[in-house]
Amino acid sequence: MSAASPLIAVSGVTKRFGGLTAVEDLAFDLFPGEILGLIGPNGAGKTTMFNLIAGVHQPNSGAILLDGARIDGMAPHRIAEHGVMRTFQHNMPFAGMPLIDNVLVGRHTRLRGTLIDILLGRRRVREEEASARQKAAELIAFVGLDQRANDDVATLSFGEGRLLEVARALAGEPRAILLDEPAAGLTAAETIRLAAVIRDIAARGIAVLLIEHDMHFLLPLAQRIVVLNFGRKIAQGTAGDVTRDPAVVAAYLGEAAGGFGGRNLNA
Amino acid sequence: MSRLLTPVLWLVGIVAASALAFSMGGYATDVYRKLLIWVALALSYNFLFGIAGQVAFSHFAFAGVGGYAAVIFAHKLGIPFPIAFVLAIMLCATLAFVVALPSTRLEGFYLALATLAFSQLVLVVINEGGTLTGGTGGIANYRLPPLLGFDIRGPWYTVVLVLIVAFTLWVLLRMDRSSFGRACRAIRDNAVAAAAMGIDVRRVKVMAFTLTSTLAGLAGIGYAYIDNVINPPVFGLDNAFLLLFMIIVGGTGSHLGAIVGTVLLYLAPFVLEPIVGHGFLVVFGILVVLAILFQPAGLAGLLTRSPARQPA
Repeated sequence: MSAASPLIAVSGVTKRFGGLTAVEDLAFDLFPGEILGLIGPNGAGKTTMFNLIAGVHQPNSGAILLDGARIDGMAPHRIAEHGVMRTFQHNMPFAGMPLIDNVLVGRHTRLRGTLIDILLGRRRVREEEASARQKAAELIAFVGLDQRANDDVATLSFGEGRLLEVARALAGEPRAILLDEPAAGLTAAETIRLAAVIRDIAARGIAVLLIEHDMHFLLPLAQRIVVLNFGRKIAQGTAGDVTRDPAVVAAYLGEAAGGFGGRNLNA
Repeated sequence: MSRLLTPVLWLVGIVAASALAFSMGGYATDVYRKLLIWVALALSYNFLFGIAGQVAFSHFAFAGVGGYAAVIFAHKLGIPFPIAFVLAIMLCATLAFVVALPSTRLEGFYLALATLAFSQLVLVVINEGGTLTGGTGGIANYRLPPLLGFDIRGPWYTVVLVLIVAFTLWVLLRMDRSSFGRACRAIRDNAVAAAAMGIDVRRVKVMAFTLTSTLAGLAGIGYAYIDNVINPPVFGLDNAFLLLFMIIVGGTGSHLGAIVGTVLLYLAPFVLEPIVGHGFLVVFGILVVLAILFQPAGLAGLLTRSPARQPA
């Protein structure tokens, strides 16, 4: 892989909701600059795993390490401060603000001016704000929404909203980014754009953890794939490895004949 | 351009609002001064309710705490006014912080209930405060002592109130047009997503509540020296709800809307009462329902024709 030591190390993580074990004894590593796919049938525990890393849930047992330090048990905003940003499975824009302000919110952790600095109108606050605006505009262009920068988010299509989620998460200059089904609902052109964006993110050295149902999108993109079923890891490896794995085929064929969205598993 | 223009606009606004004071008779002055207090309260409440999304009913209670504290410190305990003033502001800030710590854990309906309870508690304390608060009759027969050798009288006191409004607006605009204002709006729109962006939701909520409630305290001090009388009913729930109506009619989350809504609803009874008597309250109710149903961006939305903002 791209580096010797993992940026995020998940080890032996179990999460139970009452009697339901959503994630069981799960372990995987995420390295800087890699695109790691997280797949599995509905209810396999993918989004739960995301929420565990992002601090929305706390694991019942096991540990999640960022750069060797434990982050499980930390509040979501602290984990974001440490450089782990995420998108949501369902678009969660800040509805009362234009696009650019949504992205600026994503930059919150990189703004150092305190409320006192703001009230006193200190120069560094103005400078910080000006450079944040410029960076936000760049990111909006990066995901291809530059025509819409000052529009209200309510006017975005679902697909444009997906891309906004990515831009907003990137605004925090993350070390790791968690993308929850970013391609869902995108047009063909937007999907191509998104694939290029994700490759570019990884090329910048950011670790990408990607949940995706669309295998046409994921398989060529992810360097490694972790497959979950009923909260357990059933396979791990390259796209070729996991699509040939009998356990994976069984898990998917059990859900929908034809396997990976109709794609020949050995292709 | 705006860096040069803005101070000029502020100066023009302050001078114009002050100049009005010198052209007014006794009755108009009284109406104008109270309107200024309402505007100051509406501006800070708009930040708390409209921008930070906290449905709190404690705003008038904090105005009461500020007003009573300044009067008690300065005139019952004999503390020199400047020190009494600072102490009253500090008391408001501390009390707001203490109230915010538990209540900002609550949301929507439950925050409203908790702050309603706090408002009632403040009323009970000032009603039952014996000689210190003057009980139901309140405190009277005090006057603002000369400050730095200036005896602030007549229209000059109205100028002080104009400056309180200007200071309030200036502080709120600074906050709104910063990362802090964005964080407040983000929490209002989607607290889960705000936390995922690295915003410490509780901290921002506590700060917004504390700051806006302290500004309410400042307005309360200004109120206390209009008639040199302070008594409990003003700080009750009737006015707390009227303040909410003003924001909704004016345009939730808009500074301009807070001013427009306040001027309209404050002056409306003077026009309506001779015609419909106490029926003007019905008119208010209809206005609020119409605003919520058809114009969530309020009057400000009509004026600026910006895309309709989501109500909090």
